[in-house]
Amino acid sequence: MPGLSLKGVTKAYGATKVIHGVDIEIDKGEFCVFVGPSGCGKSTLLRMIAGLEEISGGDVFINDHRVNEVDPSHRGVAMVFQTYALYPHMSVEQNMGFGLRMNGRPKAEVAKRVEDAAKILQIEELLDRKPRQLSGGQRQRVAIGRAIVRDPQVFLFDEPLSNLDAELRVATRLEIAKLHRQLGGATMIYVTHDQVEAMTLATKIVVLRKGIVEQVGAPMEPYSNPANLFVAGFIGSPKMNLIDVTPGAGGALQFKDGRSLTTSGDAHNVATVGVRADQLRSAPVESAALTGEVSVVERLGDAEFVYVRTGWGQEIVVRFEGGTDTPVGSTVGFDLSGRTHFFDAGGVAIKGLAVASS
Amino acid sequence: MALEAASSAASEYVIRQPLITPRVRRWIVSALLAAVCCIWIYPLVWMVSASFKTNAAIFASEGLIPSQPVFDNYLRAWNEANIGAYFFNTLFVTVGSVLLVTIATAMMGYVLGRRKFLGRGFIFGLLVFTMFVPQGYTIIPVFELLSMLGLGQSLWGVMLATTGGSFVIFVLLFAGYFSQMPDELEEAAKMDGVGFVRTFWYVMLPLSKPIIVTVIVMQTLYAWNDFLLPLVVTLANPAIRTLSVGVYAFKGENFVDWGGMTAASTITIVPVVVLFLFLQRYFIDGLAGAVKG
Ligand SMILES: Nc1ncnc2c1ncn2[C@@H]1O[C@H](COP(=O)(O)OP(=O)(O)OP(=O)(O)O)[C@@H](O)[C@H]1O
Ligand SMILES: [Mg+2]
Repeated sequence: MPGLSLKGVTKAYGATKVIHGVDIEIDKGEFCVFVGPSGCGKSTLLRMIAGLEEISGGDVFINDHRVNEVDPSHRGVAMVFQTYALYPHMSVEQNMGFGLRMNGRPKAEVAKRVEDAAKILQIEELLDRKPRQLSGGQRQRVAIGRAIVRDPQVFLFDEPLSNLDAELRVATRLEIAKLHRQLGGATMIYVTHDQVEAMTLATKIVVLRKGIVEQVGAPMEPYSNPANLFVAGFIGSPKMNLIDVTPGAGGALQFKDGRSLTTSGDAHNVATVGVRADQLRSAPVESAALTGEVSVVERLGDAEFVYVRTGWGQEIVVRFEGGTDTPVGSTVGFDLSGRTHFFDAGGVAIKGLAVASS
Repeated sequence: MALEAASSAASEYVIRQPLITPRVRRWIVSALLAAVCCIWIYPLVWMVSASFKTNAAIFASEGLIPSQPVFDNYLRAWNEANIGAYFFNTLFVTVGSVLLVTIATAMMGYVLGRRKFLGRGFIFGLLVFTMFVPQGYTIIPVFELLSMLGLGQSLWGVMLATTGGSFVIFVLLFAGYFSQMPDELEEAAKMDGVGFVRTFWYVMLPLSKPIIVTVIVMQTLYAWNDFLLPLVVTLANPAIRTLSVGVYAFKGENFVDWGGMTAASTITIVPVVVLFLFLQRYFIDGLAGAVKG
């Protein structure tokens, strides 16, 4: 049963269209992450679901009710803002209970719900503090608490972790994942431009670009089966190596330096080959599919990312085991092993093609 | 020798002893400021001193400390010249106008600062324009308006007219302050199901405390000391005079009761001074808020 669905949703600010017809179905209880580069319309989409932004075209359904014109507070959604947007002059307790109190809920009920939320988030001892007396992470919790108290069907998060430092971000990410499990049936929609966050939290991932959905799928889907060049380049760190090729006879694909690769299948419309850093294997320079000169080595401890400049001046990145210590300036060769992705001239992924094992 | 050579090579960095030490400089500055301060408050001190002298003693120019202090002036001012009644008139006008002004300007500022609507720029322009019209020019029409409302002869009329003093400036102060508030606060309230008016009252207004303090302070001073407007409105009805007008009444056709006048003036400024002493921090914050806001 869909908890939330967007049907042909568009948004225009005056003459500039920023969302171009988005269709997404999100099931009840799902954790859906919108991911995409800055300015792609993630926040706009979220705010349209929240009711903070007018919907220019299409429909938004929550629990099968069309909510296009419904007041934000009656949609059964709660939003956690990137800047937290806590009321600075109210204590944590007042912040969390404000909405309920203003809507005439009995005092005892408000107190009970605030207390319950505080327990879930472990901020019971902070209830009397003002927001300015809290750390960033604590403010974040209060903002989430304010959402929990409303007992919404859908939680909306707009980059909730982007104001936290790296360590806290990882910790809070886990907390949010835990919270999702704890709150059982609640649907969550989460906006981020951090694709690690997206992959770790999501049960469904939506990749957006310039107001268009590029791919929807299970969390690893865009990583392991990118639907097009954009998704291939955007998801995954380091970026997938995308190498232009010219198709030759018999499934051969020729690189710009004359070396080539054989595929098992019809490769006549392949224009680009995509391969991730961990799917390149060291090979003797004479017979390797790819060769180049090592320009930079990034040592991360457990792994080493080696940047190799190919004959035609492109930089490709290869993952080595930690401690390999490849010397900068040396010439190295690689073969494509494991998963390789193929794209046609329009950037769309070609299915059912693989590198022929030699 | 080597040292000398080094120092001459780096002659730009020679440490020069200051002619006056910072301590001496502080003394000099303090003395100068004290002198300026004396000149500044001399009229005030003179006024207070005169209020304890008889008319004859005032003209005897006997110095600031009265040789035979008298309290006559105060009794005369309070009882005969009705300063007592005027005091409460002024209090009414001040408190009433401060309440009205604070609430009205905050609401206007909120709407002008945060809502986009047709004609907003025009209203802003109109408001700013009125600041260039001197008060004196509008007194007759204001008086006429009050008369038409049936308030021409009442304290309520004085109070209402007094709200106009710096109304526009306060509106602009509030508008500027509210326009800088993050949108998310309002949006959070919207998600919480809190309406426009209550968002203003419970979220935005408490956050504008610095501006509220500024407005209260500035309007209090203005309402308490305003002279021209109450003079015109109360011309026909001496019972509703305010202090500043009442003080003026000591100036007769051919005799000026300087003792009574200075006593009445002292009574007039005492509340403001007391208010200042107690709320000094707020006064200063308030005026600083006006600059920042
Ligand atoms: N009020 C507005 N008027 C005009 N254009 C707007 C307005 N708000 C947003 N936009 C445009 O809409 C597009 C999408 O903006 P949005 O804030 O949704 O991006 P985003 O994906 O959330 O980016 P980020 O990751 O930087 O937060 C942007 O190109 C932005 O310039
Ligand atoms: Mg955004």
